[in-house]
Amino acid sequence: MVKSAAEWGAPPKFPVTHYVDSRIYTDQAIFGEEIDKLFRPTWIIACHESEIANAFDYRLFAHPTGVPLIIMRGEDMKVRSFYNICPHRGNTLLYDPAGNAKRITCIFHAWSFDTRGNCVEISRAEQGYQGRFCKEDAGLREVKAEVGFGGFVWVNLDDASCTVKEYIGPALDVLVPYMEEPMEVFHFNRAVVNTNYKLWHDTNSEFYHDFVHYFNRITGMMQPGYFDRKYTAFPNGHASVGSMSIQYDKYEGSRERAVGWPGLSPGGWYMVDLFPGMTYNLRTSVLRIDTALPLGPNKVAIEFRGLGLKRDAAEQRAQRVFDHNTIWGPFGRNLHEDLLAVHGQGRAMREGTDSRWVIHGREENSTIHDEIGMRHFYAEWSRRMDRPSYDPFREGRMEPARAAA
Amino acid sequence: MEQRRQIEELVYRSCLALDDGDFKGFLELCDASFRYKVTVYSPEIRKEMVWLDHDRAGMETLFTNLPRHNSDHSPLTRHATVYTVKVAGQQAEVVSALQVFRTALDGGASELFTVARLLDTVKLDSGTPKLAQRVVRMQTRQLGFGSHIPL
Repeated sequence: MVKSAAEWGAPPKFPVTHYVDSRIYTDQAIFGEEIDKLFRPTWIIACHESEIANAFDYRLFAHPTGVPLIIMRGEDMKVRSFYNICPHRGNTLLYDPAGNAKRITCIFHAWSFDTRGNCVEISRAEQGYQGRFCKEDAGLREVKAEVGFGGFVWVNLDDASCTVKEYIGPALDVLVPYMEEPMEVFHFNRAVVNTNYKLWHDTNSEFYHDFVHYFNRITGMMQPGYFDRKYTAFPNGHASVGSMSIQYDKYEGSRERAVGWPGLSPGGWYMVDLFPGMTYNLRTSVLRIDTALPLGPNKVAIEFRGLGLKRDAAEQRAQRVFDHNTIWGPFGRNLHEDLLAVHGQGRAMREGTDSRWVIHGREENSTIHDEIGMRHFYAEWSRRMDRPSYDPFREGRMEPARAAA
Repeated sequence: MEQRRQIEELVYRSCLALDDGDFKGFLELCDASFRYKVTVYSPEIRKEMVWLDHDRAGMETLFTNLPRHNSDHSPLTRHATVYTVKVAGQQAEVVSALQVFRTALDGGASELFTVARLLDTVKLDSGTPKLAQRVVRMQTRQLGFGSHIPL
């Protein structure tokens, strides 16, 4: 039955935990609050340790708050992070996205900094400052950085934050046994899509959308064990999905994955979604990491990384790359479908379209098509934002049952 | 000169076939030993990457499976210019510049999708030149929501 304007605008007939107001995906003020409340004080993956394997290696990271960061391995092999901003005249210190630098020297006036963020040279300091300002006054702003959970480099702008371990809690326990060996990034791709970052994370938090993926329907949904996969919710808005055995040979032109992953059963597949926008995705022979970096209410940059084992022989690595590209590469079967789907959501939900609600109402005993992953995310979102996701502007919305009473 | 003209025409025909979604026609331009690769260097991780790698059978399967997938239907238009042709014996190494434009179905706006080079190996031992290998060496790395269609 079609809906009138009033019916379209009325809340869905679900408990308030089972839908959200679409304006949380489009409103500029809410977006600004999300950056301050969700991203600024949160641990976010900036890169992987293999990207800065050697002393003096660095990697740049555009933090969602807008702060440009340097991730750097010092001569003591410790990983640190600093603002990529010269304390003198606010210039960019390092320009290339990655490199190796014994000194960080600003091209503008040649102020120079070591890998610990200390200023080691102010050009013509004595002549200009006569002792009123010296190297000790000119250090870089250091940001908390930790390496962990598979060798990823996590950063947090909040000096008073908890540790990464405290933030993740038990959410990654299911993957820890598979991340004991050193890994290496072999794939990096950044996709910028006109959609809200939460919609990408939603897609990673529910498997009901396997209907968009021919590959997943054939190799997963139509195979035994698929509907036994279960979601587990963890504190801080994280959630994981249990494994099954994917039947890769059911897709024409595909075959059973020969390389596999140490300790993981053949065809195994675990996923862990971390609040507010990161996903660990260990699928048979490749670990994929998504990091959603919001650029605006309807714009997100998603960084995709593919990882193999550091000890891979050339043939093994080539096979992992092939496996990765088949479904997850920029020309892969699944990634394009997922990106197209969230692009479509962004197109239908942008400001002014009168999209009103997004329903997360499926309950299937926490199994694979249950939408508990998203409900759990929005419970945490509401708590941290101090705004109910079903009524973000506190317009007095309540459950239909309670309203009737 | 006639040989160079034939080689250039092969490159241009391959682009036209892909533009038209004539995948059978594209494969007819390829030798049985054909290998197709998309490669790109990432300054972020400072590594060479392979984004697609198929032999002829793999390409055939990729094309056969296309209708089973949900894909963006905006046409891609390839603009190639053959820069150099080096013939050595029964094969030629061909370097071409490639730009690919994507045209939105709704409204028809065209935007640059990618900038790349085509590094082709062409077999000359039969009457007609055939593609033995194509490496699409991409410069562009940000492809938005991507594509299911090879470049």
